[in-house]
Amino acid sequence: MAEPSILEIQGLRRDFGGVQALGGVDLQVRRGKITGLIGPNGSGKTTLFQAVSGMDREATGRIYFDGHSILGLRPSRIVALGLGRTFQLSRVLPGLTVLENLLVASRPDDSEAEDRAHNLLRQVHLERQVHVLGKALSYGQQKLVEFLRVLMRSPKLILLDEPAAGVNPTLRRTLWELVRQLQEQGTSLMLIEHHMEVIADLCDEVYVLNEGRIIARGTFSEVREDPQVFAAYFGHRNRTAS
Amino acid sequence: MRYSDLGIGALLLFFSLLAPGFLNNYQLSFLLQVLMMVTLAQSWNLISGMTGYISFGHGVFFGVGAYTGALLLMGGAFWWVAILSAALLAAALALPLGLLTLRLRGPYFAIAMLGLNEVGRILANLWVDLTGGGDGIALSPLLSPVLATNYFSMLALAVLATLGMGWILRSRFGLELRAIREDEEAAEMLGIDTIRNKLIAFTASALLPGAAGAIYAFYTSFIDPSSVFLPALNVQMIVVVLLGGRGTLWGPVLGAVLLMSVQELTWAEFPALHLALLGLLMILLVLYLPDGLLGAWKRIGSRYG
Repeated sequence: MAEPSILEIQGLRRDFGGVQALGGVDLQVRRGKITGLIGPNGSGKTTLFQAVSGMDREATGRIYFDGHSILGLRPSRIVALGLGRTFQLSRVLPGLTVLENLLVASRPDDSEAEDRAHNLLRQVHLERQVHVLGKALSYGQQKLVEFLRVLMRSPKLILLDEPAAGVNPTLRRTLWELVRQLQEQGTSLMLIEHHMEVIADLCDEVYVLNEGRIIARGTFSEVREDPQVFAAYFGHRNRTAS
Repeated sequence: MRYSDLGIGALLLFFSLLAPGFLNNYQLSFLLQVLMMVTLAQSWNLISGMTGYISFGHGVFFGVGAYTGALLLMGGAFWWVAILSAALLAAALALPLGLLTLRLRGPYFAIAMLGLNEVGRILANLWVDLTGGGDGIALSPLLSPVLATNYFSMLALAVLATLGMGWILRSRFGLELRAIREDEEAAEMLGIDTIRNKLIAFTASALLPGAAGAIYAFYTSFIDPSSVFLPALNVQMIVVVLLGGRGTLWGPVLGAVLLMSVQELTWAEFPALHLALLGLLMILLVLYLPDGLLGAWKRIGSRYG
């Protein structure tokens, strides 16, 4: 029987000097679902992604991905297990063409990588930019290419860190359509996003992080009603007074 | 490799193969040095041009190769065994050095490599029993291969280095190295084993400089620590790649021909000034031609073509 969670985080802690960025986070991402991670700026969302993706290996606790303990593994090992991620600020490879950006992200033994890359680019109407350097793309296009790059390995779980930040509304719609398609195909996704209408529309479950701790978990409607969540976003005041 | 690259390569190879038939010894010696610089620059291009890890001390592998070649030849080894051994020893040395130094990034790696070259020079000075210290090693002309043999050996290295670079540039491995140069963290997050790739590139980039060092020792018949662990050699290979175009196939070849020609014309007239000119050229290249002549040519071509 398949495990219910593709990602399970237990007691994840991370300190930067004396500052506690994550204070014992417990979290699960269910298979085939879109899980939202929201919280005010500086609440530890990206720090959590850094730990899960292996880019920060100083965190303590436990992280299980698809049955494997991955805390302390290098990113390339975690990617090989089937996890992909995008970055908050675009990390498209500037001196490589769009096609090269995608090909370099494919599995080395994937003989159909080029076809797959062209298909993905066609889906987001970037096929004409195939030989354009990454640095010559608009910021929104760079974010899209970064997202497509992750798809080249058909990962089981994708961590999306504000994928629509700086992206124009047209491209943003394309992006969310892609996210929906991926979920329909069985991919699990975890999404950091500040646009609450997107979280409400896409996410099956939402975690709210504040000052390095999970303060609420549930559907978007449930967490929206949580007084702790309201306080985290708007300060400790009575809702009716705001 | 593209057909145009193969065409250019075949033409250069044809000329180089025939050269001993119509060049005098002075001219052939000059061409040998150009080929040596092509080999060194292509090797430097592999680690520094492709991955962005700027090595200021790749000459250390040249020096190790020179001493290995000279000592083995004196010990009675065949010249080609001595060359092969020099290459393998340089690569074997590069593996642990790479493990240590490739954790460093940017200027820290560059300085560590510069330090390694100095360590090599000092060790060669102090290990008198093996290296002869500051007195160096003089090879008997009876032991050393003749100029034509050295020339063809160096030609073989330059061809190997260029063919190797041509293959790497078109390969998945080359693409991964370029991804590391662009953004190492992002490359790792794309599933690229950055540590393994850098180590392979670094070790491979030591192989041919080791062999070139051995041939250089046979060619000059005399080596000492200052002549083979020469800081200026490190600067030369960097300038050659920057001048021609880093991360390109023909950049190091073009750069080597141009730089060696300019040096040949100026060093006899201005022995002290030619090093200063090298430094000045490096500054100008970094400021105004970061992609080298081939990069500038490509830019002009895309603007008007």
